[in-house]
Amino acid sequence: MRTETENKSTALGSTLLKSVSKPGRYAGGEYGQTLKDKTAVKARFAFAFPDSYEIGMSNLGMRILYGALNREDDIWCERVFTPWEDMQDKMRAHDLPLCALESGDPIGEFDFLGFTLQYEMCYTNVLNMLALSHIPLRAEARGENDPIVIGGGPCAYNPEPVAPFFDLFNIGEGEEMLPEIVRLYIKMKDEGRYTRADFLHEAAATISGVYVPSLYEVTYNEDGTVKAYTPLYDDIPKTVQKRIVKDLDKAYFPDEVVMPYIETVQDRITVEVGRGCIRGCRFCQAGMVYRPVREKTPAVIDCQARALFDRTGYEEMSLSSLSISDYTRVDELTDMLLSWTNDHMVSLSLPSLRADSFTRELMEKVSSIRNSTITFAPEAGSQRLRDVINKNLYEEDLMRAVNVAFEAGKNQVKLYFMQGHPTETDEDLAEIPALAHRVVSAYYQNPNRGKGGRPPQVTISVSPFIPKPFTPFQWEAQDSLEEMRRKQAYVGECVTDRKVKYNHHDAETCRIEAVLARGDRRLADALELGCREGFKFDAWSEYFNYEKWMSVFERTGIDPAFYANRAWGLDEVLPWDIIDCGVTKAFLKRERAKAYEAATTPNCREGCSGCGANKLGGERACCPKTK
Amino acid sequence: MLSKDKMSYPKLTEPRTVRVKFRKVGNLQYISHLDLQRTISRVLVRAGIPMWYTQGFNPHAKIVFGLPLSVGAESECEYLDLRIDRDMSCEEIKQRLNSVLTDELCVLDAYVAPKTVFADIVWAEYDIRIRAEGLTEALADEMQTYLTTSPLMMDKKSKSGIRQVDITTLTRSLRATVVDGELRIAAVLCVSGADYLNPEYLIRALRERFGIMPEDDVVSEYSILRTRVYLADGETEFN
Ligand code: SF4
Repeated sequence: MRTETENKSTALGSTLLKSVSKPGRYAGGEYGQTLKDKTAVKARFAFAFPDSYEIGMSNLGMRILYGALNREDDIWCERVFTPWEDMQDKMRAHDLPLCALESGDPIGEFDFLGFTLQYEMCYTNVLNMLALSHIPLRAEARGENDPIVIGGGPCAYNPEPVAPFFDLFNIGEGEEMLPEIVRLYIKMKDEGRYTRADFLHEAAATISGVYVPSLYEVTYNEDGTVKAYTPLYDDIPKTVQKRIVKDLDKAYFPDEVVMPYIETVQDRITVEVGRGCIRGCRFCQAGMVYRPVREKTPAVIDCQARALFDRTGYEEMSLSSLSISDYTRVDELTDMLLSWTNDHMVSLSLPSLRADSFTRELMEKVSSIRNSTITFAPEAGSQRLRDVINKNLYEEDLMRAVNVAFEAGKNQVKLYFMQGHPTETDEDLAEIPALAHRVVSAYYQNPNRGKGGRPPQVTISVSPFIPKPFTPFQWEAQDSLEEMRRKQAYVGECVTDRKVKYNHHDAETCRIEAVLARGDRRLADALELGCREGFKFDAWSEYFNYEKWMSVFERTGIDPAFYANRAWGLDEVLPWDIIDCGVTKAFLKRERAKAYEAATTPNCREGCSGCGANKLGGERACCPKTK
Repeated sequence: MLSKDKMSYPKLTEPRTVRVKFRKVGNLQYISHLDLQRTISRVLVRAGIPMWYTQGFNPHAKIVFGLPLSVGAESECEYLDLRIDRDMSCEEIKQRLNSVLTDELCVLDAYVAPKTVFADIVWAEYDIRIRAEGLTEALADEMQTYLTTSPLMMDKKSKSGIRQVDITTLTRSLRATVVDGELRIAAVLCVSGADYLNPEYLIRALRERFGIMPEDDVVSEYSILRTRVYLADGETEFN
């Protein structure tokens, strides 16, 4: 009668699980999860997403890496997320360690703990999860039996603020590198020559894309800037070159999908069409660090989309790419997909559309843009400033796009902007609401606008500029907090039409993000103190507390303005100079100089600007081949 | 492979309602009714069940769920009705569904729905087990007496607010014993509309009166398993 469900070894008693909010976050047991016999595998890997289950389970990269590791018979990769505050409190009160979802085993027992670092504001959750796992925060304090702690993901392009907490970083795309790292570990164990130190050294010396921060000594100048990075051994790279997957058609594609039972942020099929972006917006880190642009062929994407549909049953599908309309064969691909998605009631969505490629044909094809809101990101209000940031977008394009949308019956437009770009003046800022006002007028002037008589609504959403590593604007100063707030108020005053809704991003969070984005290893002290004082979920406004951040900076001798509000010298050694992401510093400097002249750079397909990323190779890339 | 060729099955002249009896145990007890509904709609797609879709602007598959089951309770007798528009056998539907489900959420039976409706279900039998310190036969007797002696007034939440209810009037039978140091309560409780008695009330009553299993206790454990559902007479099993 009663089926005794196999009891996980978890210490989380059922009574406890019944007393927390959304217990489904901690239950595991999803369809598609990978279970293995732990006594039969040689390495156990805990893949950690330092945010809630609902956020983490929506991440495509995690799904790929989970599958890429589990496809190896002797490696078992499991998942772990940051427990919500109520659960953390109970775990601390009862001294229960953080456990993996699949086996329910404590994370501290694993061979590896890998964090994906998707945004800087998750750093406090990383430390928090280490603490909950009873793993020493600092790599130097870990013993032979502690897991090897690995970091990867976009923030690993400047890993320095969290470098002391990690044994090893993956720089670049992980689906090949991560299994290689674990294989090396297994090999050294099999050969009986494993020690933590030897393993880290050998990984740094032999696996491309591996950065072991403890093997580099950092010195500083008297003014606080970085003086030099010195490798401790001759056989490890002086700079660590980013790893890429050369042929995306052949890249590992997961044939199992873990299906969350509870609602996640993105409950849909996500198919990757390519990596990288041809555009080169000067503030955008993703646009630089994912170069060179590589595409998958439509037939491969279609085949993967069908497989995902069969395995998930999701009735919504989204194509993932930094700028989907730049995909060279977008028409061919959408036709291919629509040939079966309609019959199976699957709706297709294309996020990240550019206004200059928004056409009636595309809109009619793709259902997600059938709802009443259309979103574009002009990023700056004036043409001059859009040229400074190399957005390569003209107001005519935007107006044409919104008119197409109005004629199709839409009445809501959402526009994303940034404030605080280099050279910005109040006139540029005033153009943000002015542009929104012109969109409202365009609605009323369009005789063919959709019937229904609902008034138009234009939402402008403005977030402060954050200087990011490996962008032409990496040297720029962020506005002071006062200036950010003044600009926010100013934009608000310029909004005179009630049909324009104005949102702005929290300035205080953006300032901390700027500090962390350009931070060096000295910030680790502040993060560690923050962890001890209970910082968590700093990406969530209800948990973020600016005063507390200021307080830990002050007590650890960190001047946030040194990192956020200083214009960095072009000849300065940057904390992230230890990483080579493909794009050269010379190119970034050229782009910066052009920005100050408001001169634009053609996109990669119009012409190569010699950014340097082509040295990494790549199939179906638009770069010239290097010899 | 796509949707496992449901299109090749002959079209029915009238949509057919298939009743599915399923299990929801283990980790799945933490999944809410709403999340279960979402899950099932995806399960039907990946199993390639030829669902009948409502006509109109926003077509959707027709699925009717039986009794809700509280988060934290397990069940061996959940029901849902689905409507198909192609001639696929109930046995195949069961097999297809189970090929895309786990043991903790799986189909026990599938058959052409009889005339009964879910509102006919009035009573449910539960097997409640409590593992805690100091459970004895004498204590079990005391607990049984306590839970079955009218009036046992408790604050009961409902849509219209909180009201005081004598929970013994919503209990058809209840027996408590100790087996291997584990307290077992076999109870038949009302599941009908506003009189739905969540078995957690029994746990709460015992917690308040006998001080066992303090909330967020990590040593003791309890489980609630729904085993059978009955019509109004309390004897005829629903099917
Ligand atoms: S090498 Fe040329 S084409 Fe390739 S990403 Fe760089 S600028 Fe673009």
